[in-house]
Amino acid sequence: MTAPHTGAALKTEAPRRNSAAALLTHPLLWTAILFIALPYVAGANPFIGKWSGFVGIATTMVIFSLFASGFNLYFGHVGELSFGHAMFFTIGAYATALYSKGFNVQVFGLTLQHGETNNLFVALILSVAVALLWAWLLARVIIPRSSGIYFSMITLAFAQVIFFITYRWSELTGGEDGMQNIARPNPTGYGWLQDSLHFYWFSAVVVFLALCLLQYVLRSPFGSVLHAIRENRQRARFLGYDVDKYRVNAFVISALFPAIGGWLWTYYQQAINPDAGSVEYSGNVVMMSLLGGIQAIMGPILGASVYYELQNNVSQLTKYWEAWIGVVFVIVVLFAPRGIMGLVEDVQHYGIGTAFRRYFSRTARVEIDMEEELPPVIEDPAVTKASS
Amino acid sequence: MLTAPQLVDQLVNGVTLGMLYILVALGLNIILGLMGVINFSHGSFFMLGAYLMYQLNGPLGFWPAILVSAVVVGLLGMAFEATLIRRLYRRIPEYTLLLTFGTALIFAQIVRRVWGDDAVRVSTPAYMPESLSIGTYQVPFYKDVLLVGLTILILAGVWLLLNKTNIGMIIRAGTRDAEMVKILGINMPLMFTLVFGIGSLMAGLAGALAAPIYAVQPSLASQWIVLTFVIVIVGGIGSFWGAIVGGLLIGILTSLMALLWPPAVEMTGYIIMGIILLVRPRGLFGVEGLFE
Repeated sequence: MTAPHTGAALKTEAPRRNSAAALLTHPLLWTAILFIALPYVAGANPFIGKWSGFVGIATTMVIFSLFASGFNLYFGHVGELSFGHAMFFTIGAYATALYSKGFNVQVFGLTLQHGETNNLFVALILSVAVALLWAWLLARVIIPRSSGIYFSMITLAFAQVIFFITYRWSELTGGEDGMQNIARPNPTGYGWLQDSLHFYWFSAVVVFLALCLLQYVLRSPFGSVLHAIRENRQRARFLGYDVDKYRVNAFVISALFPAIGGWLWTYYQQAINPDAGSVEYSGNVVMMSLLGGIQAIMGPILGASVYYELQNNVSQLTKYWEAWIGVVFVIVVLFAPRGIMGLVEDVQHYGIGTAFRRYFSRTARVEIDMEEELPPVIEDPAVTKASS
Repeated sequence: MLTAPQLVDQLVNGVTLGMLYILVALGLNIILGLMGVINFSHGSFFMLGAYLMYQLNGPLGFWPAILVSAVVVGLLGMAFEATLIRRLYRRIPEYTLLLTFGTALIFAQIVRRVWGDDAVRVSTPAYMPESLSIGTYQVPFYKDVLLVGLTILILAGVWLLLNKTNIGMIIRAGTRDAEMVKILGINMPLMFTLVFGIGSLMAGLAGALAAPIYAVQPSLASQWIVLTFVIVIVGGIGSFWGAIVGGLLIGILTSLMALLWPPAVEMTGYIIMGIILLVRPRGLFGVEGLFE
């Protein structure tokens, strides 16, 4: 089963010239290059003359590139904005923390107890299982009942529920302060993960493998159906696809990646607090995805790195750095909603001069946002050739 | 255990809270219904109203300060619409949420820069009685009598504006189909700016009125905005009575939850939303097919 190509879908895909070029422009190759470079460049700040990288910032970047990529599976590829994806991140993080630290709580007269444990893989399985179960239940309830802006606001509201559970249920979660001193597991017996650089490489490999899975999902027939739904939901329905079923499945899959990110995040910080599930985190991953470009696989990955680089640099200059993040948000939404990868794609298609003109022109901006109201603009022979 | 005075106390509290929710949510709802703009900065306008009240209370006096704060926030809203929001009308509504999320970050930092991180307090004028006695029962005068009374007057004014004036007719028609109204020769860009101003003015007014009750701090915006969304969803997008019923429902039940089970206070609104969503996906008074 493959979805039919629509004109709009074709325009967003880079033309395949030949296999060598396809390999050289492959997003996973560039992701690998980025991840290898990050510990040496992340957090370098030319403004204050600090050039070396920071492993901690690099780790944050790879974890959030996974989180943002998972979020963007739903935003960029199904075309609906979930404004509460931090809930899956925080569920993954808290599941790991609770499993590691143990708990002892009374729920409706029942005593739930669990001692301190330290197993990397059981924690991963638990995090993912809890997050996916919640995602599935939530999706079954809200997806058939809402779409568009209702969907955005409802996901935001349910994320607040999770946030307040972590914030208020102090007995279980430690409340506002969260949990500290969560030990990193020691799977090899040599304490290999205790070193921050080693932990970076571990995170980078995990994230890279997860991104391979994501890439596989998006390039599969399933991914094509998602694109068909994004381009024209009604047409996808007429073709016989059960649109809501695909939306539910995509939502559950898009929760998987933030959950894995949360698992890594707890071990990276060795502590966790409710902020991980706040509106700010949900909003920030949207920002990362937009900044990088929502229609490219590479987009959120690059976006997360650029976001944290910016945040780190600006926060060394002013304590009101969030305002500047807000300014970047406004500029990206108004003038560059296709993000960095949108520009890269345009350069690949049209060459540098035309690409810049096209990228910042109003038609190009409107074109990606409107589904039906504008006729498709096909002016480039390369695109027309690729579609015939 | 629950006692009757406690229950009455919380009910009255709930009505006050609900009234403020209604003021904020109604402004958001009119903007959302007419223009499809999800204004995440609406909470910032509420917060700015409260801070302006703090700033102006001394030099202008209590009542003029409330009025001036609201009008300033309203004008700010109009400028906001004319410079930023206007560029997004040809795009999908989600982008307005993202843009206003960004501006909410900016507003929060501006407020921190100007008025600092610590909470500030606004006092009611000295001539105003602390409380009112009804039999043996003492009611805080400003919070539970004056504020509620004023809000009812304001809501009546908004209802008259929406239902008995030409502008109201255009707003109601535009909520159904903005394009058709435009074709009929109405200057919609001007209407949008005006309505955005009215909505922001209501948020600023609510902020100024709420300033003496709450600790005014930079986190005020984010505390209010999500719950305001919830009220709009519960009531139904674009519905006047929806905002009123939703605001009162959530205000009262939140206050009662403070008696029943304090840890769940913040979650009450979301639980109500979950239940309503299962039964009526478009909210209590919502219509199908708006912005989907």
